[in-house]
Amino acid sequence: MQQPTPRSLFYLTILSVASVLALSACSGSGGSEPSNGAVAAPPPSPPPPLPPPPTGTGAFKDAAGTSRFLTQATFGPTAEDVAALTGTSASAWFLAETQKTPSLNVPLLQAIRSQQSEESGGFLAGQSTTFSFWRNAIEGDDQLRQRMAFALSQLLVVSNFGGEVLTDVPEAVAYYQDVLTRNAFGNYRDLLEEVTYSPAMGHFLTYMGNQKADPATGRMPDENYAREILQLFTIGVVELSPNGEHVLGADGQPIELYDNMDITGLAKVFTGLNINGAFEEPQDFPQNWLVPMVIVEEQHSGEPKHFLNCSIAAGTPAAQSLDEALDCIMAHPNVAPFISRQLIQRFTTSDPDPDYVQRVAATFDSGRFSLPDGTSLGDGRKGDLKATLAAVLFDEDARGETALSDPQFGKIREPILRFTHWARAFDADASFPEYGLELYDLSDPSSLSQHPYRARSVFNFYRPGHIAPGTGSGAIGMTVPELQLVNASSTPGYMNFISFWAFGGQSQIPYEELAAELEDIGLSVQRDRLESAFVPDYTDELALANNAGALVDHLDTLLTYSSLSDDTKSAITATLERAPIDGPADTEGLNVRVGTAVLLVMSSPDYLVQR
Amino acid sequence: MRISRRHVLKSIGAGALATTAMAGTPGMFTAHAADTSGYKALVCVFLFGGLDNHDVIIPYDPSSYGNFATLRSSLISQQGTNRARESLLPLTPASDTVLQGRQMALPPEMPQLKALFDKGDAAIVGNVGPLIEPVSRTRFLSGAAKLPPRLFSHNDQQATWQSSAPEGAQFGWGGLFADAMLASGANTSQPQFTTIATTEVGPFLTGRNAVPYRVSTSGAAQIDLLEDYYEGVAGERTEYLTRVRNQLAATSYRGDHILERDIASAFSSGLDTNEAYDDARASGVPITTAFPATALSQQLKAVAETINVRDRLFATRQIFFVGIGGFDTHSGQVGSLPRLLAEIDAGIGAFNAAMAQMGLTNDVTLFTASDFGRTLAVNGDGTDHGWGGHYFVVGGAVNGGDLYGTLPPPAFDHDADSGGGRLIPSVSVEQYAAQLGRWFGMTDAELSTALPNLGNFDQGTVPFL
Repeated sequence: MQQPTPRSLFYLTILSVASVLALSACSGSGGSEPSNGAVAAPPPSPPPPLPPPPTGTGAFKDAAGTSRFLTQATFGPTAEDVAALTGTSASAWFLAETQKTPSLNVPLLQAIRSQQSEESGGFLAGQSTTFSFWRNAIEGDDQLRQRMAFALSQLLVVSNFGGEVLTDVPEAVAYYQDVLTRNAFGNYRDLLEEVTYSPAMGHFLTYMGNQKADPATGRMPDENYAREILQLFTIGVVELSPNGEHVLGADGQPIELYDNMDITGLAKVFTGLNINGAFEEPQDFPQNWLVPMVIVEEQHSGEPKHFLNCSIAAGTPAAQSLDEALDCIMAHPNVAPFISRQLIQRFTTSDPDPDYVQRVAATFDSGRFSLPDGTSLGDGRKGDLKATLAAVLFDEDARGETALSDPQFGKIREPILRFTHWARAFDADASFPEYGLELYDLSDPSSLSQHPYRARSVFNFYRPGHIAPGTGSGAIGMTVPELQLVNASSTPGYMNFISFWAFGGQSQIPYEELAAELEDIGLSVQRDRLESAFVPDYTDELALANNAGALVDHLDTLLTYSSLSDDTKSAITATLERAPIDGPADTEGLNVRVGTAVLLVMSSPDYLVQR
Repeated sequence: MRISRRHVLKSIGAGALATTAMAGTPGMFTAHAADTSGYKALVCVFLFGGLDNHDVIIPYDPSSYGNFATLRSSLISQQGTNRARESLLPLTPASDTVLQGRQMALPPEMPQLKALFDKGDAAIVGNVGPLIEPVSRTRFLSGAAKLPPRLFSHNDQQATWQSSAPEGAQFGWGGLFADAMLASGANTSQPQFTTIATTEVGPFLTGRNAVPYRVSTSGAAQIDLLEDYYEGVAGERTEYLTRVRNQLAATSYRGDHILERDIASAFSSGLDTNEAYDDARASGVPITTAFPATALSQQLKAVAETINVRDRLFATRQIFFVGIGGFDTHSGQVGSLPRLLAEIDAGIGAFNAAMAQMGLTNDVTLFTASDFGRTLAVNGDGTDHGWGGHYFVVGGAVNGGDLYGTLPPPAFDHDADSGGGRLIPSVSVEQYAAQLGRWFGMTDAELSTALPNLGNFDQGTVPFL
């Protein structure tokens, strides 16, 4: 819960100067034209006719259905994916996604390390967990896995917001990202164990080096992880029904699951874990942060450990204590509804119907799910994440005909997902995310209020139980986590952020200026890749730009699976028609119209709520 | 050519400025109206994570200090001289009621708060925390006491401090205080500037009518980039940008989806309020007081700048919320806490100087708050979640230079120890809030509405204002 490093603020300051300097034209062809203001637009010609819409059944039965499913399950649908998948089996797609090779983060960190110069002082490597996130999210072929890892990263939160060790030794977070990525379709119990042993979590929740009590000095074990593994990672604070609703006691109040005696009891379990090797000068030993922590048996508490309804016998060794404790916590009936409801919130809807939660929780408990085509998923162990995710996405509440018209179904698109969606929809090149200086830190409300693996605390960017005060949804008690980020600062912040990309801002920073900045922080710049980085391909849009109505229809299909309301479409169209265009040769006018159209659609309430 | 925001604003028409978010019904409750005369502001400084009370108000008489130094030896031994007894800043309270012969001190990182205390402009309220009813150690240990839900949990205790209820609470006492003021006729023309936050705020500033307005430390954010991308003929450009702006404000949204409506409402009121706020600031007198570059100081500077244009915001009662994190010192406390305490000290010092320069020392009261206090017991190199904590109240109206509440001795198993030195509060947050509210102009009836458990406590015990 600290501020970004002065160094990253420094670069952001430079950047905002750069964006003010940006010229008015935008490059439409994603090419390598010199930035001299005379940008050539592609000749306006109608886009190729679309093939006749395939007919089918299931989630991919038509283009809108495919696009909507991919919006829920990936970092954003692309026109190519929608065209290729429509008419095929969504079950087959899901199964294929689970079998793809994971795109990992540590190799990308190591690539950055290898090209980094001495004088850059490690700054670039410190940012590399961000680069690998953007690259895998936007360009990764294993979209479902990447999206699940991102969802898990908001449940099992580790953050480098505070800088210091988790920034200085990016191996810690990169390894942690890979733990979540590798286990995205695994079992929650196994994941919890890898998380518990991970140096990143050990450091973030301060149990790395935690020691047994010392009666002589009054020292007690650190309670941090004991509390948060219960409260945030597994069971919450109050007793839940299988459908996720609170069980009420005789006094009409929720029933608390534990008191501080349980926490001090469980805290003894998380003693005796430490970094595998030297901790001092951690940046000199990054390899220690790429492997699980090790047990230091003599620092582990040998006292009996009582918590929840579990007891671990006196003298139980550390590894066995940890095993027994995780098994005990995992056996608690709260785990299934607690985790299931949050996964639903990350993929489909913020305030799910209790029956929806109950169906997903039952899958979590049984460890099996049958895809619509009859394929069975899961190994039958409680906590199977592949089966659970399928239950979230294929549930009748998510897929049924009524979801689109239900005025309470859906979720506010997470800010990060809006950006990845933009990049994927317009085929912006994210293979060198490090060229996008605007993306180095998005924590502030002046950009997105959300940066991957950089929440302000273990409580994530927003709370699953957030009921937004002073809103219509709050008045009827709906939980809407993402509304926690909506305020008078973040509103223009997001609009300015998305404008930068929508208007091709990246390509308007003069090449020499940007290259010099990047070289200053230790990058060796490839000119052609820098000039194509994050440049949107607006070929199709420019071809339609003379006709505002057709342009809006096209964006409606591409970005919102044809769900913009008629009101919104006509209001945006009417605005765009006022964008002065001096005939089809007015390249600048056409570009401004397209950029404005993307901004207005992506800032509309219809877009911002994924239904 | 650039178009000034004022120009765009005017072209939208005054109608757009009428915010619907706070359409209260002033006048309905005038029978027991709050006092809205003159100008008064409350400033809440929230220390996220749980401030270690034991390391801020430190035992000083040789015997108490000795006990403290023994219990905290593993921290103090890492700390060099700044927790040595001779480095501490001893307090000389006006009365001996709280300490009864003992002495307490501030850490050397807090010279400005020490000076404010000495001058009578700062008070310390000891062992404040969420309570539903008074709790004795016996009743706590036997399980007979009625306790606030989810003690020791960060998010729930932050919410409880702000609203007397755990996560999910809808109304905070700051917002309900603001409601009372609005209902009594304060801030009628611009109600949206009654409750202002410079950081993420929980339920604290939300009432049935009041909603928090979020500002950044550099004024309100505007939609700037579009203007940078679009050059054109002046007249056409103005008209087009105005249309785009109104489209972004979602003023024409007519759908029935509840989340879309929430977004549309937030966008519309947010953009309107930002324009009105920057308009007021543009003609304000700049502040000359120097504020340090830290996060807390910059937020307090934004508050001071806002107070400085209070007349242009038509505000006679305002409640502000600022906050910084980093106080969850389970580990590395010695490395992080002194820096944070220095940041608090410098920020409050600068803010107080700014208020003095504006002649508002007696009209603005600042107070601190946190999730909870921490354990007296050490876990190696940090401390764990506690309950009661010690807080500062600063301003010319404060009965300063004195201690209120209780400051239990540095020991275990005393009457206020719930275990490990987690203090059972002796002053409820609602009593603390009530004292602030009375000064702010709230009637007893209005206080009872805002603070549901207040009637369970003796209300005369903490006369710090």
